[in-house]
Amino acid sequence: MPEHNLRMAAADWERLRKHCSPSFRGRRNTEYGAIGLLGKRCVEGATRELIMSEIVWPAAGDILAKPDHALTFSSRYMRRAHMAIRKKGLAGLITFHTHPRADMEVGFSFYDDDQDPLLIENLQDLWPGTLLCSVVLGKNSQQARLWMSPQERVKFVNLITVGNELRYLPLNGRPSLPAPSPSEIFDRALALTGSGALALLGGLTVAVVGASGTGSLICELLARAGCRRILVIDHDVVKLANLNRILYATRKDAELRRPKAEVLKRGIESLGLGCEVVAVVGSILDDNVLRRLNEADIAFGCVDKDYPRMLLCKYAFQYLLPYIDVGAEIGGDKEGIVSTDTRMNCVAPGRWCLRCTGLVTARRLAFESLTTAERNRKIALGYSDDLLLKQPAVMDLNMRAASSGMMTLRHLLQPFLLDPLPVTLAENFVTYNLKPIASARSRKDNCDICRSNPQHGFGDCGEAIGLSAEVAAALHSEDN
Amino acid sequence: MQIGKAKAEIEQLALSGISIELVTQGVQPFALVGGLEAPSPPWDRKLYDILIAIPLAYDLGTALDGFYVALPYNFQNGEHNRVNGQVVSVQNRDWKAVSWHYPDGKPFRFEVDNIESHIVHCRGFFLQRGAVNARA
Repeated sequence: MPEHNLRMAAADWERLRKHCSPSFRGRRNTEYGAIGLLGKRCVEGATRELIMSEIVWPAAGDILAKPDHALTFSSRYMRRAHMAIRKKGLAGLITFHTHPRADMEVGFSFYDDDQDPLLIENLQDLWPGTLLCSVVLGKNSQQARLWMSPQERVKFVNLITVGNELRYLPLNGRPSLPAPSPSEIFDRALALTGSGALALLGGLTVAVVGASGTGSLICELLARAGCRRILVIDHDVVKLANLNRILYATRKDAELRRPKAEVLKRGIESLGLGCEVVAVVGSILDDNVLRRLNEADIAFGCVDKDYPRMLLCKYAFQYLLPYIDVGAEIGGDKEGIVSTDTRMNCVAPGRWCLRCTGLVTARRLAFESLTTAERNRKIALGYSDDLLLKQPAVMDLNMRAASSGMMTLRHLLQPFLLDPLPVTLAENFVTYNLKPIASARSRKDNCDICRSNPQHGFGDCGEAIGLSAEVAAALHSEDN
Repeated sequence: MQIGKAKAEIEQLALSGISIELVTQGVQPFALVGGLEAPSPPWDRKLYDILIAIPLAYDLGTALDGFYVALPYNFQNGEHNRVNGQVVSVQNRDWKAVSWHYPDGKPFRFEVDNIESHIVHCRGFFLQRGAVNARA
């Protein structure tokens, strides 16, 4: 039987828990609840995860609840939520309700077992294919199940909450179990990533977009931290100019123009650490390639262009996937080196997109999203020289960026930073300056990517984010 | 392609009576705008057609920049020094790139600017500002 995860924004989970908290206070034993809208994330056509897009908060009279009685959602409330999923093209509804007496463990009641099949039957009568996810909340635990039809029910494994942290909460009605001890190889990392986080990292699939200098280092750090599955995405091949910074790339790889992703797979898997690397040779701009991220639990962006960065941002908010973007840059003039910068941005629900942080600019994004022929005509006009500069790149600086990114992942899994994760973590080695930037300098409070995204949490129920293979190829034709 | 917003803007402008359509060369989209008014003289006709390249990531918040003018054209019985780019063939017509950019301190802002405001910017080329630039 397939098992699913449920994914939601950390802020929604906190609001929901707060909304339901009176259930666990006092002696009235009144159930609380709410209804949410579901998007989904599929791999090879099969649903892998359900995503909670938003909560439709109950209005007065929407919930009928008496002490020591089961909670009932009014038909008006159910209809409102159901109309919303039909209008938005979403996958289904999710209901939450509390069991006030459940402290450490919680389970569905006989009443729930009777009512859920009736509810899914009614919903599917109105709109065939509607899914119903039912969640029961105890004080310290939660249990969930997915109804595909009145007869077919699927278990959930984890609730993944995404925000300033990445939390995995069991959905089996019991509190989290103590994590297994790490293998000897990884126990030196215990001080930084406790065994719970280490076990978690071992079970995650981490996507690394860009397999050049920084991307290859991120893969190495992931494998040596205990990650057991990495999805490496890159369309490019190894060239001589890459050999100063791509791990495992050899002169022969450059001569044979071997794909960077495949070279990295060969190198990382040769370490014998039990880390499987899936090499995806293709452009992240191509929607078929971008959708491979549906297999991932977190993504690293190690690219030097704004267009892929923006698509990854859009993906992060449509699929509620944490995305860590890292980069390094050397600035210089005739006099010498002016700056050696590295940067890390963590993009996730409740955080800012790279357009709001000021990293992605409208001018560069426009330039990069013209076809090669049109871009060449723009170049001929002579006003785009600054956009054409080849960025100097050295492995020692890439290492600092990769290190920031990896430490951020460790923090997401087991928070250790004293202050909240900054919007941007910037380092300038020329001035010995490591600077946490707490504000988004180009923030738009109504940003349609990170603040009021109309496809927030829609997953595969939303519009395609990437380009067709033909269009992606038209943008990449000069790169090789 | 992320140009749904561009399509909607073009449809809206067409409905409001502006001669505009979305055309493509290969996979590159352009807005073909007809009948931009120009003073004649110095221009050889009163109405000009222009072509504006639409970036494929327009919906994600890109800038618009420059445009193409339909060939042939004539300015003060010769060429305009800013019509100095490459020629592209679209819709069986030749168009030449015009170096007509936003000033440094007043860039295209995707939050407030759009295809309509860019057409206004392009129109400035045919008016006094463009003529002044030609003499400079």
